[in-house]
Amino acid sequence: MNSMSRFFEMGGYAAFVWPAYAITFAAIVLNILWARRSLARSREEARRRLAARGEGA
Amino acid sequence: MTWTWFHRLASPPYIYTLAARLTPWFAWPAGLLIVAGLWGGLVLAPPDYQQGDGFRIIYVHAPSAWMSLMVYTTMAIAAAVGLIWRIKVAHAVAASCAPIGASFTFAALVTGALWGQPMWGTYWEWDPRLTSELILLFLYLGYMGLRAAMEDTQRADRASGVLAVVGVVNVPIIHYSVTWWNSLHQAPTVMRLAKPEIAASMLVPLLMMLLGFTLFFAAILLVRLRGEVLSRERSASWIREVVSA
Amino acid sequence: MNRVVTPIAGSLVQTDTAPSTQTPAWPDTAQASVLEAARLALARDLRLAFRKRDQLVQPLAFYAMVTMLFPLSISPELSRLREVAPGVLWAGALLASLLALEFLFRDDAYDGTLEQYALSGQSLTWLMFAKTAAHWLLTGLPLALMAPLAGLSLGVPAAALPGIVVSVAVGSIALSLIGSIGAALTLGVKRSSALLALLTLPLSLPVLIFGARATQLAISGGPLLAPLELLAALAVLGVTLAPLAAAAAVRISLE
Repeated sequence: MNSMSRFFEMGGYAAFVWPAYAITFAAIVLNILWARRSLARSREEARRRLAARGEGA
Repeated sequence: MTWTWFHRLASPPYIYTLAARLTPWFAWPAGLLIVAGLWGGLVLAPPDYQQGDGFRIIYVHAPSAWMSLMVYTTMAIAAAVGLIWRIKVAHAVAASCAPIGASFTFAALVTGALWGQPMWGTYWEWDPRLTSELILLFLYLGYMGLRAAMEDTQRADRASGVLAVVGVVNVPIIHYSVTWWNSLHQAPTVMRLAKPEIAASMLVPLLMMLLGFTLFFAAILLVRLRGEVLSRERSASWIREVVSA
Repeated sequence: MNRVVTPIAGSLVQTDTAPSTQTPAWPDTAQASVLEAARLALARDLRLAFRKRDQLVQPLAFYAMVTMLFPLSISPELSRLREVAPGVLWAGALLASLLALEFLFRDDAYDGTLEQYALSGQSLTWLMFAKTAAHWLLTGLPLALMAPLAGLSLGVPAAALPGIVVSVAVGSIALSLIGSIGAALTLGVKRSSALLALLTLPLSLPVLIFGARATQLAISGGPLLAPLELLAALAVLGVTLAPLAAAAAVRISLE
């Protein structure tokens, strides 16, 4: 437990280290979500376009 | 013979299916490398004798900064290819890069500020590297703003392509700014041609993070690329099979 | 009906405002006529600008207003104003130059002249250079000549004024060139002022930095050759690259 609390305190720099990691983690997660949503939207749009033309050329 | 694969890459249906197939091959290694790098950097690496545990911000700051530059360069090269050879897929690559690069540039600036305050006494300073990194963020935003302002995708592709190529001059400025000018930001310890001056136990997790982030970029790029390629194909028949699947 | 000289295919074609009714003669030697075409484009822009003299004054008036904001909002003390003078003079010049950029291509895009330039067979790059040169002569140079007045109002010593004129004159060359790229890119975009600023300002920042440094040295009496040389280098870099990029951007916008 002692090493656990030492880990979280980061030698006194916790107030800087953990927000930095948090924001980078947020950037990673946001990129994943954003990319997937963008792809889903493009697929939906393509589907709608095809439907509007009645699945034909 | 070698040009046939290049021409295949320019074909939207081929790229679409290839991107879908390749994504896990980048995503999983990226995840593993990042987790391993985090473990190595946060737990295994010893504290720095000067900065203590605070130096561990490097494991998120340096990869973010690397991403901001590498993604822009990729975007500029893709834009140039798209402009010169008029390849739609290249423009789709460039468009996919921008949001990724912008978000990591922002992360680099924020993590840098969080590192700067305890170590060098200030969240921000208008020195060449920080200022030019901020300019990079504005270049990304300008690129995305220009795209958004134009309704015609082809014109948006080409106009923003010109912007991306013109702005690439900022990338070497950012990288070399710490050697050209006296700067608050420290001189490069890893990304230089001489041997890096950093202990192995600290270096290895850093390299893993850098590689992991790069593979992550590739994975996200491939996901976005599929959507961008789709939106540029108005009436192609291959879309039918793809979207009804 | 305004008679306007337009460089179509390098020949001096007098047209009314519908140049497409003319059938220009294509020259055999393209080399000599490129400079001639550029010279004609420059002369045309200058002549047209002088017909709307009040539009010429606008950037200058804007510059004066911006300069006035700082004594009123920061402090009327000349000693404090002198400290911020380099930044104020340059930020104001940059913003005034930005304001004038919107007019660089707008009228020509509307009446089809820009299209004629692109179709003329003449080097669009040279024509862009000519237009940008006209922009500098009509905006940058007057701003440089006005900067001493703005400087005096901010408490700048008289000895610094020649240095300020030179640095703003040289720096505004680079600003006009960099701005022409953004103006060309945002040609088709409605309400593009904010976007134009977003595109132009990041690339103009080195000019701002070196220009303010030169002004700072001029005020303190130090040697300003180094930043002036850097400004000149930026201008030269701009001259070689910017018209090319602007021409590419114009072609994209005209499609």
